[in-house]
Amino acid sequence: MSLWALVCSLIPFELGQGLGVTGKYFLRKKTTVQYPEKKMEPTDRFRGMFGFSEERCIVCHACAKACPIDIIHIQDHFVELEVDGKKKKKKVLDRYDIDVKRCMFCGLCEEACPTAPVSIWLTTKTYETATYERNEQLYFTKERLQNWQGVSAYPGVLAPNAGMLPEDPMGTKPKAAPAEPAGKEGA
Amino acid sequence: MTTPWMTYLLIPLIKIVVILVVLILLAAYLSWFERRILAFMQIRIGPNRVWPKGWLQAIADALKLFSKEDVIPARAEKLVFLLGPVLATAPALIVFSVIPFGPSDLLRLTDVNIGILFILGVASVGIYGIILGGWASNNKFSLMGGLRSAAQLISYEVPMGFAVVTVVLMANSLSLVKIVEAQKAQHVWFAFPGWLAIPGLIAFFIYFICGVAETNRNPFDLPEAESELVAGFHTEYSGMKFAFYFLAEYANMVVIASIATVLFLGGWLRPFPNVAALAFLDVIPPIVWFFAKVAVFLFVYIWFRGTFPRYRFDQLMALGWKVFIPVSLINLMAVGLGILLLGGPR
Amino acid sequence: MTERAPVHLSADSEEMEISFGPQHPATHGVLRVMVKIDGERIVETKPVIGYLHRGTEKIFERETYNGCIPHTDRMDYTAAATNNQGLVGAVEKMMGITIPPRAAYIRMMLAELQRIASHTIWLGTHALDIGAQSPFFYTFEEREKILDLYEEYCGARLTLNAMRVGGQPFDLPSGWTDRCRAFIDQLPAKIADWERLLTKNRIWKLRTVGIGVMSGADAIEWGLTGPPLRGSGVKWDVRKVFPYDHYEEMEFDIPIGTNGDTYDRYLVRMEEMRQSVRIVRQCLDRLPDGPVMAKVPKVIKPPKGEVYFSVEGPKGELGYYVVSDGTDKPYRLHVRPACFINLQALPELVRGHLVADLIAVIGTLDIVLGEIDR
Repeated sequence: MSLWALVCSLIPFELGQGLGVTGKYFLRKKTTVQYPEKKMEPTDRFRGMFGFSEERCIVCHACAKACPIDIIHIQDHFVELEVDGKKKKKKVLDRYDIDVKRCMFCGLCEEACPTAPVSIWLTTKTYETATYERNEQLYFTKERLQNWQGVSAYPGVLAPNAGMLPEDPMGTKPKAAPAEPAGKEGA
Repeated sequence: MTTPWMTYLLIPLIKIVVILVVLILLAAYLSWFERRILAFMQIRIGPNRVWPKGWLQAIADALKLFSKEDVIPARAEKLVFLLGPVLATAPALIVFSVIPFGPSDLLRLTDVNIGILFILGVASVGIYGIILGGWASNNKFSLMGGLRSAAQLISYEVPMGFAVVTVVLMANSLSLVKIVEAQKAQHVWFAFPGWLAIPGLIAFFIYFICGVAETNRNPFDLPEAESELVAGFHTEYSGMKFAFYFLAEYANMVVIASIATVLFLGGWLRPFPNVAALAFLDVIPPIVWFFAKVAVFLFVYIWFRGTFPRYRFDQLMALGWKVFIPVSLINLMAVGLGILLLGGPR
Repeated sequence: MTERAPVHLSADSEEMEISFGPQHPATHGVLRVMVKIDGERIVETKPVIGYLHRGTEKIFERETYNGCIPHTDRMDYTAAATNNQGLVGAVEKMMGITIPPRAAYIRMMLAELQRIASHTIWLGTHALDIGAQSPFFYTFEEREKILDLYEEYCGARLTLNAMRVGGQPFDLPSGWTDRCRAFIDQLPAKIADWERLLTKNRIWKLRTVGIGVMSGADAIEWGLTGPPLRGSGVKWDVRKVFPYDHYEEMEFDIPIGTNGDTYDRYLVRMEEMRQSVRIVRQCLDRLPDGPVMAKVPKVIKPPKGEVYFSVEGPKGELGYYVVSDGTDKPYRLHVRPACFINLQALPELVRGHLVADLIAVIGTLDIVLGEIDR
């Protein structure tokens, strides 16, 4: 036994084993994705560039309040409308700016949005937002948020004002109210 | 026709230029191959962008290094700092003057009858480049790298020398050409025949491991241990001076692999040169056999680098002095005694 | 505490002070270590921290409780899920919320996957520090698969923001459990590969056995937690001692070492990965149906008071001490970071060793500067 141990200590079997492992990986298929030519498709819930829909927005400021770093800047004013003969006040959006260069893509704004299909969402699958200048290029006003000038959309993603967000990517959205039993695997 | 002027000046000059160009290209491409092979071992692809398919990567690297700013640290010892890379590179290239690539006279620069001694002597000068470069940089990490390198080279030169002497005893010559021819005469390809095969094998392994240590390659890459000493002795070097160190390292790898091929693997001979059944292998020219063997060696070097962790400095010394030197010494004595008692090869 | 013999310098010794970091390639970020060395032997070590200080604890004071969660992601950026878990656990404890079982199971799965991911990144960098290059890429391959699972679940790969006070913000997407199971099933073979590269390797053993030894008693005195504590032979794991979520239902072992050296800590972490695989598998088997969010008010306002809640993070015990003044923002939120306290032992662990061992010990403590500096 001790002799065997001595032989083992003299002849580095285990180093050979290690060489075997690297040799095995040498012949294996490589995992690299050649980026500019091939792109990995983000999953449905991927938090990427913002999408915004002015029609759906009810100017409730919930997203701005939910934002942990206060990068959503909203300005609005009231207009008086006559609906069915009644005078009604309605908020109108003046500015809806997101300082994307400071955004940490936590998705809390999307969660806070109370409209039925949310009016601010990050599930656009678009992640190629690099620019040469960050202060202006990455400052998105509501017009830019709706057509993404200067940012290339992920192939197949429609500009926010043209298309809607992907079908309910987050599954049945749980609200704080008495939680309804969600499906086992979501939607 | 052959005037002395031609034999002694023109032909050697042409040979020198050819060998230098081939060697430098080989070293440059070795770095590319290393990156590709390492990448493959690490489930990556490696450099494959420079047209075509990354084949010109080595050239691109060289151009990049040429165009880099050549920084000399403000408080460096300027002359020595400049001398370092030259001292490291030149010996690695000079060694190639005695290595025979093939049987004919055309395929080597010269055949010195003390070729082995010449190689051991010249190759050891290269260490000065590393020590001086590390010292002159005026950087603590570089200094430590240089010191480590010096200690490492001195300790591993000894067992390596013993391993080489073992071969010299077996082949009964110091000339590299004669050693290869002896291997052919003794009806073998690998090492030496009969009982000499065992000490031959031991000497081969010792030579191989010491060669890895001598070239500062993983798992003995302490002088430039990236995670400890940033980049060791060449931390402060940039641009072409860095390129020269780089070149020296890879040229040294080729040198060690070539010497191992000549001493232990039969140089330019085909496998089993005396087995007539394998005569069809003679179709492949000897120089191809030589470089194929060198390539196998280099691949194993890179394979080591991809696999093993790094020794610690004192452990490296302990390994050299407590294992390799005694083993190589005993091996050498055994061979000497055996030849004396049993009658060695003539 | 046992005192170690001071290193005696011979008369002709020449001490030299070198500054490791903050840009050194092996300091795992921006740690700076002032090392006084004699030759290559370390006489004195002084970690200098603060290069990544972002005032996270102060930022917490102006955030709502849910708004704090994305900030915790950025503390230990290799283990965002356990960071989230600690904070939401603390607030839930304060408000007396019991989260639905399905949410707890999802949390446990995320946390255990995160433990594997964190340990893979540790193994890769630790091996790279000691000079073995390839494990880095092998471990990162597996880590990417975990991050893919995260991306599928919550949309982010690194900074997850995947938990909320009262449960989980969203349910698992369809097919997630199958993909998770497929990943979990192939992982043990990969761990075996990594072990084949390192565990018995004589160079690896030379570099790790007997390096940075700390006895169990010392480890407790220094306040070490996590693998550094368990490597010293102390059987302590918050998941077992103060079970949270549903860890009391899970079967798993706490691996412990015997010598308290770098090699033991390595073995402990390797075994922890296997135990995490076990836990995730049990979670997948028993995953209950039901809601993922408990009934919580829209604005989280914990009652006045203070609470400490800790989870077993991959690096050690990660605690949150929350003081509430009854408003929707924490009055004070202190984090007990595992790395910060584990790092304190560095000078003790490396005294008298060589420079190369300093690197090995920094690697074995598995520090993340984001959590140390906060």
